[in-house]
Amino acid sequence: MIKFAWIIPLFPLVAFLLLMIGRRKLSEGAAASIGVAGVLASLSLSVAVFLERLQSPSNYVATFDWLRIDQVMVTMGIEVDALGTLMLLVVSLVSFLVFVYARGYMRGDQRFSTFYAYLSLFAFAMLSLVLSPNLLQIYLFWELVGVGSFLLIGFWTFKPEAKAAAKKAFVVTRIGDVAFFVAILLTFWKVGSLELSQVFAAVESGQLAPEIVTTIAILIFIGAVGKSGQFPLHTWLPDAMEGPTPVSALIHAATMVAAGVYLVARTYPLFLASPIAMDVVAYVGVFTAIFAATIALVQNDIKRVLAYSTVSQLGYMMFALGSAGYVAGIFHLTTHAFFKALLFLAAGAVIVSCQRQQDIRQMGGLWAKNRTVGSLFLIGALAIAGVPPLSGFFSKDAILLAAYQDGRYIVFLVGVLAAFLTAFYVFRLFFLIFGGSYRGKEPVVSVPKVMVWPMIILAVFAVATGFVNFPTDAFANWLVEGNGIVAQTASTPWWLPVGMTILSIIGIAMAWILYGKRSVAVSSFGEPGPLPYRLLARKYYVDEIYDRVFVRSLKGLGLILQAFDRFIIEGLVKGIAGIISWLGRIGSRLQNGQAQSYVLVSLIGLILLVVSFTAGRLLK
Amino acid sequence: MPVTSYLVLAAILFCIGLYGVLTKRNAVIVLLSIELMLSAANINFVAFSKYGLYANVTGQVFSLFSIAVTAAEAAVGLAILIALYRRRGTVEMDQFHSLKG
Amino acid sequence: METLLQTLPTWITFSPLLGVILLLFIPRTQSGLLKGVGMLATLPPLALALLLFGQFDGTSDKIQFSQKVDWFTLTLAKESGVTGSFTYNMGIDGLSMPLIVLAAIIFSLAAVASMYIKERHKEYFILFLLLEVGILGVFMAHNLLLFFLFFELTLVTTFFLIGIWGYLSREKAANHFLLYNGIGSAVMLIAFIVLFFLTQTMDFAELKAILANPDFLQWIKEANLQWLLWSTLIGILIAFGVKLPIFPFHSWMLRVHVEAPPSVVMLHSGVMLKMGAYGLLRFGVELFPTYVKEIATLLAILGLVNILYGAILAFRQRDLKRVLAYSSISHMGFILFGIASLNVIGLQGAVFQAVSHGFISALLFFIIASLYERTKTTMIDELGGLSQVMPILSGIFLAAALALLGLPGMSGFISELLAFLGLFDRAPVIAVIGALGLILATVYALRAVLSTTFGALATEWKNVKDTRIVETLPMLLLLGLIIGVGIYPSVLSDPMQATLQMIASRMGG
Repeated sequence: MIKFAWIIPLFPLVAFLLLMIGRRKLSEGAAASIGVAGVLASLSLSVAVFLERLQSPSNYVATFDWLRIDQVMVTMGIEVDALGTLMLLVVSLVSFLVFVYARGYMRGDQRFSTFYAYLSLFAFAMLSLVLSPNLLQIYLFWELVGVGSFLLIGFWTFKPEAKAAAKKAFVVTRIGDVAFFVAILLTFWKVGSLELSQVFAAVESGQLAPEIVTTIAILIFIGAVGKSGQFPLHTWLPDAMEGPTPVSALIHAATMVAAGVYLVARTYPLFLASPIAMDVVAYVGVFTAIFAATIALVQNDIKRVLAYSTVSQLGYMMFALGSAGYVAGIFHLTTHAFFKALLFLAAGAVIVSCQRQQDIRQMGGLWAKNRTVGSLFLIGALAIAGVPPLSGFFSKDAILLAAYQDGRYIVFLVGVLAAFLTAFYVFRLFFLIFGGSYRGKEPVVSVPKVMVWPMIILAVFAVATGFVNFPTDAFANWLVEGNGIVAQTASTPWWLPVGMTILSIIGIAMAWILYGKRSVAVSSFGEPGPLPYRLLARKYYVDEIYDRVFVRSLKGLGLILQAFDRFIIEGLVKGIAGIISWLGRIGSRLQNGQAQSYVLVSLIGLILLVVSFTAGRLLK
Repeated sequence: MPVTSYLVLAAILFCIGLYGVLTKRNAVIVLLSIELMLSAANINFVAFSKYGLYANVTGQVFSLFSIAVTAAEAAVGLAILIALYRRRGTVEMDQFHSLKG
Repeated sequence: METLLQTLPTWITFSPLLGVILLLFIPRTQSGLLKGVGMLATLPPLALALLLFGQFDGTSDKIQFSQKVDWFTLTLAKESGVTGSFTYNMGIDGLSMPLIVLAAIIFSLAAVASMYIKERHKEYFILFLLLEVGILGVFMAHNLLLFFLFFELTLVTTFFLIGIWGYLSREKAANHFLLYNGIGSAVMLIAFIVLFFLTQTMDFAELKAILANPDFLQWIKEANLQWLLWSTLIGILIAFGVKLPIFPFHSWMLRVHVEAPPSVVMLHSGVMLKMGAYGLLRFGVELFPTYVKEIATLLAILGLVNILYGAILAFRQRDLKRVLAYSSISHMGFILFGIASLNVIGLQGAVFQAVSHGFISALLFFIIASLYERTKTTMIDELGGLSQVMPILSGIFLAAALALLGLPGMSGFISELLAFLGLFDRAPVIAVIGALGLILATVYALRAVLSTTFGALATEWKNVKDTRIVETLPMLLLLGLIIGVGIYPSVLSDPMQATLQMIASRMGG
């Protein structure tokens, strides 16, 4: 079965082409069926590949020659390793569920088939990305998932916010991508190959100087920073919530944003060889985790809270990787994909039932009206808050343990604080939406069935995934087998899980006291608060700073160069043309039409000639 | 030095003619001045045919040719002038500047 | 078949004349017939170019399909009996083959885009086909004089095509075009004449051999004539730099892109700018490998200036056409990067960029032409939300913009990758700064496409119709080529490899 892994991404590609061609003719049902069939096929094959990979722990590689660059042959192909298999499974599973869910969420949209086409394109790119055996192919699909994300964020083309958000997402991630691109250039010249296996071999054999390894690793990490919304390139991710909610669930929570984490994990030997790069990853990750968590405390848009939460959780995964917690990072990636997708889909259901309202100040009391969605959201919230025995508890525990064992105590403490904040903000969200009484104006409507059962499946995974690595380390052993990365085997100190659980419960309790018991008036949210509150509400003014520093200065530079182009360069041209026509005018003055002056001129010429000839003779 | 005096006479005549061509505004006078210059040339022909280094009669014959051509030229020139006068109502040279660039 | 193959360059070059002859016999009132014949007349060269593509031997670095006929002889100095003989010498190698195929394809598609021409079809198509003769000839001539003749032919025909069929201030644009390119080709002619007097030949292969000959170089050194060779090289750089265009010789090209009729802009941006690249490679790099090596850093800096200057200005423009014009300047910087890298990867990148940008810019100008047909404006501020009324055009526009910003999977990415890879080995700092151009390209390309097709739809565009099938098909074809080359770049890079390897090895890289 594993031999056919290359077909997995092709199903969505075919679906994409079919949907694009039949864009106008297909009914909603037909379009959705094509899209769902594509990912379902991928899912089945992924499961088969996964099962086979469980039994035979060896990587399968198949490549073909793609482009000869001087002496180096760049190949394209697939490499099925443990990480890739896991990603295949996660991506195709979440994709499948979101595809089904979107059937209900996007009902009645004018460009329904196009939506499925774009989703399929994204699924194709994402599935191909995780199968890539070399850096160039990763980059290729890396950009392609970016395009998928861009298209889907801007799906509602008529919304100016969607347009701005799509553009911002593309440009900001592109900044990271360029760093990744430079990393590829550097690798090409220093290693002489772009195959990951050869790059790792070069690192291991010491062929690469340590500073080169560090440079490459940090450049790759900058690429990951862009895609995974880490500070300072995080600003696009919250704005990306302008896209339809299924898109937010699939791309901006479960899969694409995790691609940055995946990339770091995929090139992990490079990072392991460079302590500086590891430090960078750890500190950027933990800073992002706490930074985004604080912003999430005060946001009022349901999806934005979740978006900042995603940024924060991705920060967790990053600092896990930076603290040598390879398994912990990937573990959290997996569990997060499930519970965050669940939260987003539940949020989408809330949005649908409140008639496309996204402001949590206009919600409340939904528990009574829709208990199913409420309990699903609750499962997701408990998972992310790290309440045992849900999946988030185990993975978050593993991450903090990794930081602790790696001796990064500051990182560890900040991570603990961020975990507490996470429990607080997610239950703030929960109580504001489901607790109290309904504050909106539009009547609450019911949610289609087709949207509910994907959430139920996700909820099952969100609850159960934690047990793959508990009580035995089966998951960890399988993941690292044969790839030379050491999984942590030291046993967890008893106080860590207990302490974390207590902390989560305190966070939840505080949220209940503040928002559940209504001791803070919801109506006061929009009012100008104290300075720290405003700082958080405006997201630390990062967007404003970027606007002032980068956008305006670029525009200013553009203005100066524009003036330079118009006046200096064009002026130069006009000057040259002016000189020539001035010469022409002088010439034409001689030709005045008076025969007599012509004669005079020729006479003068004759005299000059005669004189000069005579003088020449005489001088000789 | 008989040839010198002839040549001086011719040179004086030529210069008078040239002066007329360059300065006079009336086209008829310009035409007459051209005749003067041509006469100067004829005098040179005759002078050299008598006192030249290879004196022979060709010079005198050539001056006859020249006189004939001059007459024709004057006739054509005057005809053009009359046509111009009919058209433009003037024979002033500086009015004819349609060739101005 | 054998004879056809042996004389293939001549056939390709002059096959458009068939259409010219036919057009001469059609009365000027029959505009439909004129259009049909004019469009069909671009097919024979296309078919022959595709035949060439199939028959071309990519493993050889020799000039193929070479054809050499004595033309005339000039006596230079009577006493010593030195004569210069001129040959009609045509041939194709790995450097020119991709450009010939590109030119033939773009000409056929530009002929389709000629449907936007409203008047004087007879003259238009005659000039159009003569331009094709000129451009194809430029890529195949292996004699400097012959090259110059073809080069001038493109100049004259383009001048009239812009001046007669352009938009409002077309005459000014045509004059600017002629002023710059006239000066450029005058400089080129002087450079060629200097070369001729130094070497007594205008045959390219002989010239190349002589310039590399140690005896000749010794003689140059003894006679202290290095300055002459240097000024010749600089002359050639200026002549083709104007064409490319290299900053600061670019301002003519903006006017041409704004004022020329759409089909001519497609050709101009798609093919004629590449004549500059071709000239730089052929007469700069190939003739003066050691000299170019010494100024490589300068070329890289010029390329960097082109990339950043063009990109920043493209971001400021309010007119879509000007955005694309400046983006062309930016993209031509990558060609300079490729040349400056002095290795086969960079040169491959340069040629790749020439071809890829040819496709992309032709597609974009086609799109803008059909947009202008419907809205009568290309100002970004006045447009918006067009994806609601013209989804197909907007979709293709978006795809083309993505190609423009170098999305992997499309041809632009491969050329940028190769150019950057090449330069990175030589001047990593410049390459890294140049990579900022990739970010800027994203900014301006997305701004152009998003502000016209996304957002709210103004009421005046409510009734705009989407593209017709005759417009959609050529666009899709171009898009297919862009994606095809992007997915399977070997189709383009393999045939040029051997030739570029040879050129690069002469530079010692």
